[in-house]
Amino acid sequence: MNKNFGSHFLAVGSLTAAVEPAVSRVPGRESVRATTLANGLKIIVWPVHDIPNVALNNWVRAGSRNEAPGITGLAHFFEHMMFNGTTRRQPGEFDRLMEAQGGANNAFTSDDVTVYQDWFPRNALELVLDLESDRVANLAFVPTVIESERGVVYSERRLRVEDNNQGMLSEQVQATAFVAHPYRFPTIGWPADIQSWRMEDLQKFFKTYYAPNNLTLVLAGDLVPERVFELARRYFEAIPRQEPPVEVRTQEPEQLGERQFVIRRKAQTPLLQYAYKAPAGADARGPAVNLLLSILVDGDSSRLHRALVEEKQLAIEVGGHWQEGFDPGLLWLFLTLPEGSEVNEVQSAVDAELEGIAEHGVTDAELARAKNMTAAGFWKKLATIDGKAQLLGEYEVFHGDWLKLFDAPAQVDRVTLAEVQAVAREILDKRRRTVGVLLPEEGDLTQEEEAA
Amino acid sequence: MSIAGGNVGSYGGSVIAPPGLVNAHVNGVNVPAHERVVLANGMTLIVMPRHDIPLVSFNAVLRGGESAGAPGKSGVASLVAGLLEKGAGKRDAFAFVDAVEGVGGTFNAAAGPESIAVRGQFLARDQRLMLELLADALLRPRFKLEELENLRARQIELIKAAKDSDPAELIGTYGRAYLFRGHPFARPVIGSEASLAGITHRDIVDYYHAHFRADQLTLVVAGDVDSAWLKRAVAKAFSDWPRSNRPMATLPQPARIRERSVLLVDSPGSVQTYFWIGNVGVDRHYADRAALDLANTLYGGRFTSILNTELRVKSGLSYGARSGFTRGSVAGEFAIRSFAQTQDTGKALDLALQTLAQLKNGAVTAEMLDSARAYVLGQYPLDFETAMDWTVALGEIELYGLGSGYIEDYGAQLQSVTLPQMQSVIETAFPPPDEVAIVLIGDAAELREQVGRYGPITEMPLTHSDFDGNARRA
Repeated sequence: MNKNFGSHFLAVGSLTAAVEPAVSRVPGRESVRATTLANGLKIIVWPVHDIPNVALNNWVRAGSRNEAPGITGLAHFFEHMMFNGTTRRQPGEFDRLMEAQGGANNAFTSDDVTVYQDWFPRNALELVLDLESDRVANLAFVPTVIESERGVVYSERRLRVEDNNQGMLSEQVQATAFVAHPYRFPTIGWPADIQSWRMEDLQKFFKTYYAPNNLTLVLAGDLVPERVFELARRYFEAIPRQEPPVEVRTQEPEQLGERQFVIRRKAQTPLLQYAYKAPAGADARGPAVNLLLSILVDGDSSRLHRALVEEKQLAIEVGGHWQEGFDPGLLWLFLTLPEGSEVNEVQSAVDAELEGIAEHGVTDAELARAKNMTAAGFWKKLATIDGKAQLLGEYEVFHGDWLKLFDAPAQVDRVTLAEVQAVAREILDKRRRTVGVLLPEEGDLTQEEEAA
Repeated sequence: MSIAGGNVGSYGGSVIAPPGLVNAHVNGVNVPAHERVVLANGMTLIVMPRHDIPLVSFNAVLRGGESAGAPGKSGVASLVAGLLEKGAGKRDAFAFVDAVEGVGGTFNAAAGPESIAVRGQFLARDQRLMLELLADALLRPRFKLEELENLRARQIELIKAAKDSDPAELIGTYGRAYLFRGHPFARPVIGSEASLAGITHRDIVDYYHAHFRADQLTLVVAGDVDSAWLKRAVAKAFSDWPRSNRPMATLPQPARIRERSVLLVDSPGSVQTYFWIGNVGVDRHYADRAALDLANTLYGGRFTSILNTELRVKSGLSYGARSGFTRGSVAGEFAIRSFAQTQDTGKALDLALQTLAQLKNGAVTAEMLDSARAYVLGQYPLDFETAMDWTVALGEIELYGLGSGYIEDYGAQLQSVTLPQMQSVIETAFPPPDEVAIVLIGDAAELREQVGRYGPITEMPLTHSDFDGNARRA
């Protein structure tokens, strides 16, 4: 037990001059404490005393991956419902009480998880644990509140998908990339499902997934771990454990050929998205996959940005994302093209770049750059209590052990040129990709014609 | 030229906790120890060593920004900023970004309404390179014509892409263009498709020579830095930079609007209407800032705010509704932002305007005041967690001449706000619901009837190459 708060930081500060290649020693391993309650709830605490605040994340292992036709979007809807009252507290009281003690909160849902986030002054710790446990133990299902929240979620869908060409295209790409696995469902939900969830769908989902044995609580900030554990026992331990949720058994069958489609929308700029089948987040090749993605799209010196945006000026923006979920998922490339683009020409240029990497690999300089950018990004995250809580949670939930966080920089350092080329060859395979193109509607008036 | 010793010292003589220890309390935030020096040529340097994480952050703030440009040339400051990274000193554009990213650094120059800020972060081992690149970008940018042409073309296309995928993101730009007509704050910092197309290489070079001067710059460096070395190195690198030969123009105080009117930006087929309701608010030196922040927190600054409660929690009309004050050297805007599906636009606008009337008519209670106070005090330390946060905060204090009390006295000010003080701020700083500009992005064919009752409508297509509704009528 290390009671010398903050000492690990000072120690690292004095060592920085000696840290030469990429920084690989991560402070904090000695001060993080974890415990598991009798009902299966795991709690991880990272005491950090730089500011008198705390970041808390409650990780729920439920995402759109746990849905089925008819109830798509339900995990995300739950994210909303969790703020809407319990049998002990009126709708709105959760936020009212938390804000009155200086706390703020939010939440997000993905294909794999739902995460509830609170940021509060240290003296609000007991209240926040009370509120968080209350909504897990006693969530209320009030029909009028459910109807009102349906409207809110639909408004979010309009914002992110229906009035958003990027969002509309990626929803279609995702739905096309998977034929069997529930990763095909949009996290926000299909419109008809948003309109028609039933009370019993909600109750069943809640009982299954919002059980203590399916949650992980992560706190970072101005805390004493023993005090957190004591309060957690007081507020959470009485919540009964449930049968573990049914495993997602479906495995996406091997994709046998490229899938490609074009949609037409009101637009000025065409869009091009690629989704390649990629490994699960915990795959041993993970660090190599992330470095490959960084080499492709991270920063203005990345391969695709330089070739397509700067040199050939075929695109105005290039981005990418690897899902890193529980199951094998997707590695995405997103391109925004200038008005009037010949999309075929852009696709040929993208293919030439990707084939080049699969064939010839990447350079030493590219790999070194990606490693340095990864290291700097890691440190930037570690600089805040919010970043610390997020990283601990990610490693615990997706990699099976928060301790692995502290080896992450060393894992990245060890990746070789050959390993990056190997994952490039495997992942950047045309037969295992889905390509979505969004073009302006035919017959759209251009601005010049309209003004004339 | 050397560092002018007389100016060395920390802000305001406040008691400072050593870095690494608790430096913030529920009652407010103390500014950690730092040094502020002014070079003989007028450049200001602030150094704040913090050795918790092996990173160094910098923020170079140059006065001027978009407001210092010329009417019709909107976007010039953004292009100047963007070009600083596109080749400087001995490096061309590719070599420059390779140098930054090769070591895992970041380097980003961006314009705002009243400044250009160059910000970045490097691993501590690379602080020499960081300073070399910053000095090159500020003192020796290449401004190659070809780079200007590429950046300008790309910026124009990025605006079109934003119109396709993120109309809510642009609504503030339309709002300011409409509300501040005739004032420099009307000019879109990102430029418009039309204004960008008219910006020449001459405009870029002229802007640079007029505004990139030593006495207009504050450089803040915080993090795992060797401050003795840094002070010497900065003095050496920047000592030949000349002062400006003319004083920086001050901005005119924008006038509040006294009537209600509507700008309707037509986005045919849009299923939701994105709206912005605003008027001229208050400036950075506004004396009742603590009361103002508490009032806005209650009105539209947090989840349980009056506005979000009506538009989201109670009615389910919208995913969210927020309000806020943008405060410059002169008054910026107060604005409400939200959205609702097309057929509910009138309902949502009515609710938003009703909440404004309720606020003005005394909806705020002593209990609400206490809750807002706890909320703002509780969240405030999160704004000052990292070295980068401090470079941003100290840069802002210098830009607007606020003094460190702006941070250190804020907690005590929040503690002392009374209900009558807050009511007086609500009375004077928030607009009445019949004196606002209403800006809508949505399907005009479906909206004209619904929104005619709010006032005279100016209409323009979303695809128009300017953000200013008047441009089309003129």
